Amino acid sequence: MARYDLSAEIKKNEKLSDDVFLMTILAPEIARAARPGQFCMLSVNGNLRSDPLLRRPLSIFDSGDSGDISFLYKVTGRGTDILSQKKEGDSLDIIGPLGRGFRLDHSGPRILAGGGMGVAPLHFLAKRLEGAFSVILGAKTKGEILPVVKTFEASAERLLITTEDGSLGEKGLVTAMLEKELCLSKKNVLIHTCGPWPMMRAVHDLTVKFGTRCEASLEAGMACGIGACLGCAVKKTSGGYLHVCKDGPVTDSTEIDWEI
Amino acid sequence: MKKTTRVKMPQDQDISPDMSVDVGGLKLKNPVLLASGTCGYGVEIGDLIDLSALGGIVVKGLSLKPRQGNPPPRIAETPCGLLNSIGLENIGIEAFIRDKLPWLRKINTRVIVNILGNSQEEYASLARRIDGTDGIDAIEVNISCPNVLAGGLAIGADPNAAAGVTRAVKAATGLPVIVKLSPNVTDIVEIARAVTAAGADAISLINTPLGMAIDIDKRRPALGNVVGGLSGPAIKPIALRMVWQVAGAIDVPIIGIGGISSASDALEFLMAGASAIEVGTATLVKPSVAIDIIAGVRDYMKKNNFLRIDDLPIPRD
Ligand SMILES: Cc1cc2nc3c(=O)[nH]c(=O)nc-3n(C[C@H](O)[C@H](O)[C@H](O)COP(=O)(O)OP(=O)(O)OC[C@H]3O[C@@H](n4cnc5c(N)ncnc54)[C@H](O)[C@@H]3O)c2cc1C
Ligand SMILES: Cc1cc2nc3c(=O)[nH]c(=O)nc-3n(C[C@H](O)[C@H](O)[C@H](O)COP(=O)(O)O)c2cc1C
Ligand code: FES
Repeated sequence: MARYDLSAEIKKNEKLSDDVFLMTILAPEIARAARPGQFCMLSVNGNLRSDPLLRRPLSIFDSGDSGDISFLYKVTGRGTDILSQKKEGDSLDIIGPLGRGFRLDHSGPRILAGGGMGVAPLHFLAKRLEGAFSVILGAKTKGEILPVVKTFEASAERLLITTEDGSLGEKGLVTAMLEKELCLSKKNVLIHTCGPWPMMRAVHDLTVKFGTRCEASLEAGMACGIGACLGCAVKKTSGGYLHVCKDGPVTDSTEIDWEI
Repeated sequence: MKKTTRVKMPQDQDISPDMSVDVGGLKLKNPVLLASGTCGYGVEIGDLIDLSALGGIVVKGLSLKPRQGNPPPRIAETPCGLLNSIGLENIGIEAFIRDKLPWLRKINTRVIVNILGNSQEEYASLARRIDGTDGIDAIEVNISCPNVLAGGLAIGADPNAAAGVTRAVKAATGLPVIVKLSPNVTDIVEIARAVTAAGADAISLINTPLGMAIDIDKRRPALGNVVGGLSGPAIKPIALRMVWQVAGAIDVPIIGIGGISSASDALEFLMAGASAIEVGTATLVKPSVAIDIIAGVRDYMKKNNFLRIDDLPIPRD
């Protein structure tokens, strides 16, 4: 699997809502190699002696023939704050594409269930999927998902939206809506999920209850993103740990010990 | 105390400086190595950088049996630093030799195996196993891991235990033995003297000083193991001070480690008396940094008319 360590040019860094940004970078090598569910490590400072020191992992939101690659991110701390201040024409050090992506070779129906910034990798997946699939998107409030709704409308057979404050779609949680969908759906559904840990745990529990399968895109603190530091450990059901950057981020949900 | 005489390059001639060094019998084409724990077993970063450009790589610390390591979260970022509590997760010496070494053998660089154990016997068994193995050029003995209370800290902080492990490893192998010191001691020179007297061919320092961070939103320690090892630019002054102190007190070659992320950092360690350096955390952030460091050191030597790395240390008398 080809990976690249590049200095790339930022083409756009749009502010989509209060704290959500969409950054587009020209990186043809990475764009060509990228698969849905993979991520990149973005340098925020471009300087090894500065603070914050580590790169930040972001899922690939989109990647196209134009050689552009984009990231949908939320400002949650200093690193993403610095990223949000970058301007068109600035250069950015980026390593990618990294990790294992979503399964593309499933013949049955699929449901994509995303919470918060978990919509980012699902967006790329939706663009690459052939055949019918449903999408359930959840967020705290509409600002978090409004910007991506259009793209999903174009590709998904069914698009269901929930917000915790009821500002868009139905008021409630992703999992409540997923449960209704699972009651309706046929056999052999594959669920692709990405979102906060408690949400993905609840999605996993539902898939156990309904006897379907699910792959979850995990998050963990990462220092290297390439399998060198062993920092991104998550507990496995079979004992020991897996490493999110290399064995994931997309993982069969039955492999994860969700009880921590 | 190590004495050096400076050899000046004749002016107006474009002579490339000789970058090679001999570290206690370990011959390196240049003095820049990747530090244990920050380059995996080599193969993890082998497609992103040209490992054959390096003096060598020190692979992730290996024990006799595989180890699972500590519970997550295992890393936390601190100002200009990284806290880790990996807990010495590794695949074990046999799996390394079987699955990773064949790939490493094809790379034209020195391979140094970092070993860890809970007793003198474990260290000696590891050294014996490595001794007859083609493709391994030296052993770095990690007596300093702060995460494993049973072995690491006790051995690295006690001069007698440190000397005992050194002697046991020396007796078990003909390879150059580098003993890696922990900074978590009152007097680093005392430990350095003890392992030198016990036969260490070289000393590397420092491993990570113990630190801690608290997540105030979750109101709990940021690391699953509560405490962890601090690395990165934040520890460079401490590491440099320790290298300077040890270089002034003992005669065996020293490998400097701690927060090195540029050629100027590397030059500071070489001038403090190190014969070679290891790059750790900086590689995690920028995999190719060690290669930039080699080029930067070479440029500095050219510009300032130094012919050999050994000419760099600052004379002390
Ligand atoms: C594989 C992977 C893919 C990701 N994809 C995206 C994405 O597409 N869009 C996006 O907005 N975010 C994504 N994240 C999360 C993103 O990496 C973090 O939000 C970011 O690192 C925070 O950096 P910061 O410097 O702004 O925050 P910090 O100052 O480092 O921390 C601020 C807050 O963010 C939390 N935080 C830090 N790191 C993470 C993390 N890895 N996951 C969750 N919370 C974290 C901290 O606990 C803290 O509360 C992804 C994470 C991983 C591991
Ligand atoms: C993630 C991580 C894992 C490490 N694992 C080991 C190890 O297995 N054995 C060892 O001797 N040192 C280990 N170290 C210590 C480094 O080799 C080095 O001594 C230390 O990080 C200081 O150098 P730096 O500031 O350049 O990183 C590790 C460091 C880090 C950051
Ligand atoms: S982040 Fe370094 S191994 Fe996964």
